[in-house]
Amino acid sequence: MSKPRSNTRQNHIKLARLITEIVLERGLSKGDHLPESTLSDACGVSRTPIRSALKILENHNFVQRRDEGGYFLQVSPERIATESLSDLDEMEDSLAVRILSDRAERRITDVQSVSALVRRYDAPRSAVLNALKILQGDGVVVQMTGRAWAFQPILDTHNALNDSLALRILLEPQAIIARNFTMDGQKAGAVRAQMEDFLRRPDGELGSAAFLHLDCAFHSFIAECSGNRFMRGTLLAHQRLRQSTQKDHSIPDFRLRQSLVEHLDILDSLERRQLQLAADQMVLHLRRSQIRKPQAVNRGILPMGRGGLA
Amino acid sequence: MSKQVIALFPEASFGSALNCVGIAQKLQRQGAVPVFICHPGFSGVFAEYGFKEYQLPVNKGVQAQTEETWQAFVTAHLEHFNQDPTAQLSTYVAATWDAIVDTAIQVEADLEQLLKRIKPDCIVLDNVIMFPAIANTGVPWVRVVSCAETEIPDANVPPYLSGMAADDPARPGFEAAYLKVTAAAHLRYNKFRQGCRLAPLPAGKFLETSPHLNLILAPEAIRHRRETTLPRDRFVFLEGCVREEAQFDPPPLPVNEGPIVYLSFGSLGAIDTVLISRMIDVFAKVSARFFVNVGGFLESYQSVPDNVYLGSWFPQPSIVAQADLFIHHGGNNSYCEALYFGVPSLVMPYCWDGHDNGLRAQQTGTGVYMERGSWTAAQLYDTITSLMADHELNAHLGVISGKMAAADGANTAASLIRQLIDRV
Repeated sequence: MSKPRSNTRQNHIKLARLITEIVLERGLSKGDHLPESTLSDACGVSRTPIRSALKILENHNFVQRRDEGGYFLQVSPERIATESLSDLDEMEDSLAVRILSDRAERRITDVQSVSALVRRYDAPRSAVLNALKILQGDGVVVQMTGRAWAFQPILDTHNALNDSLALRILLEPQAIIARNFTMDGQKAGAVRAQMEDFLRRPDGELGSAAFLHLDCAFHSFIAECSGNRFMRGTLLAHQRLRQSTQKDHSIPDFRLRQSLVEHLDILDSLERRQLQLAADQMVLHLRRSQIRKPQAVNRGILPMGRGGLA
Repeated sequence: MSKQVIALFPEASFGSALNCVGIAQKLQRQGAVPVFICHPGFSGVFAEYGFKEYQLPVNKGVQAQTEETWQAFVTAHLEHFNQDPTAQLSTYVAATWDAIVDTAIQVEADLEQLLKRIKPDCIVLDNVIMFPAIANTGVPWVRVVSCAETEIPDANVPPYLSGMAADDPARPGFEAAYLKVTAAAHLRYNKFRQGCRLAPLPAGKFLETSPHLNLILAPEAIRHRRETTLPRDRFVFLEGCVREEAQFDPPPLPVNEGPIVYLSFGSLGAIDTVLISRMIDVFAKVSARFFVNVGGFLESYQSVPDNVYLGSWFPQPSIVAQADLFIHHGGNNSYCEALYFGVPSLVMPYCWDGHDNGLRAQQTGTGVYMERGSWTAAQLYDTITSLMADHELNAHLGVISGKMAAADGANTAASLIRQLIDRV
């Protein structure tokens, strides 16, 4: 029996992502040829799915099909490392992201049936199931007995944000100092370039959504480099959860910039292999990010929702 | 020559805190060193804008009770928010003044020590009460009136917190009631002042005007014609005072069409989740995108409509600049920001000077006043849609906005503060 169409599409997207990783690993440059046969060998699949994957990359202007034959890289490796991968992630997860986003924005309740989701998103049952499986893989939903699916805690409230930061303060420094921390220099350069580009924007044009995207990319990169597979898995899943459900518009430009400078300092230390220093800098960075605005204040009354004094 | 150090001391409310951030941003740009004196619980708020903070220590017993204090506050006062301003005098205003006086007394010794450490060239006080340590420091101090203009009394200006017109026949009754309910706190405060070598204040007054400089936010469009003109050398109207804030990119909503309406009743107003839920039910029927500040109460909402987005905080100047209507509680900063960006106000006050600004919005044709507790869904729907469709109102607000933007109140405030230091 053939697999559902949506699953085939997911496989092509995964293959497209694999191709971008090969481009990075082999240090290809903008304009380089991407021979189907080479990619077919590298990915261990036939040329037909490779062509479908290249078509997806072409549709997003990452590669170009030329008359002289074959596909050519149309963007720089830095862009591949950041935008392409995240764009592919979004394509792969689009319905899952919509469901998660609606939950984070409290449009849907924390227990859902597949039928209800099919009706809300006007999507095939298979697509909804696929999206739920993606979310299940990240531990965001669990299947209950019967046909209901229940959402697990997400980053949708002040207290959830505090819990998220508490988890990250425990794990992220440890992920750095765990044995076999290995940093991909090319990816590090790409992440650094993105942050430096962002820092060059004038005040008032930074944007919290763009910052969150960069922030998650940086912390995911740190997680990917960790030598501890369980920390890596936990932190990567948590960063995906942040990217999909954290909606924090409360950060002033000064702190956005300061936060990115802290990221760059951590990268500097990692590049020097000063891992303990980088771990300490990570603690400092996350503690600074932990300071939240009071939830409610009024003249004459102490603010609600603030902890003790630092 | 060393840089001028200016200590800004806003009260523990977002309105004055963020108003002072606006002034501090301009002071910094002009080469001065603005620093903040923080009420407990605000630590980190000003640092996120890049300013040094000096924290007032908190009484440990009080700190431990913060959450409980708030819960008790909500339980006690939520029902009072639907009362008229006169009824609120005994149920809300008196208790608030009591708490304000408590705070002033509690922090005095620590504030005195902090000021000795900071050694400011000038102190900017954006508050409703005088802290004797400030008056006794020996450096010039500036009073910022970030509440409504009614905070500075005059025969032609409505009584503070009354929500009534200046010539309202009920005025004497309100003024007498105000003096009566604040008498105990005032007596206590005056004794405290005398103990700190400050002259007592007249009944009902908790803060004198500065002998050096007083900065009032109210723009010309909503200003009252005073019987006694305020001396121009000491009183300056700023035409608003809007801070520079992070860019807000409205997230795409499942129904992502139509004008933008922003609702914020301030962090305190967010407590009334029942009211906001009722409003959201109406929003679902309006062809617009609604961004709603629900403060710390996000968990109280479920089944949010597809054209509504709830957030616990928005960078207000940025979203108001993009909005076609601003529904607020009449907080002076909110009202001034609506005027600054030429956005109509739908004012639904619940306490304090919100009542004064609600009436003023109606009187000056800059918005509509609506009682919080007595509207119907049809009335709210009609008010929202008609305000957004009122081209005449929008043109009027556009003119006001142009004047306010040209005046650049925050920059004016910073320049005047620096000139004051040079002069004294």
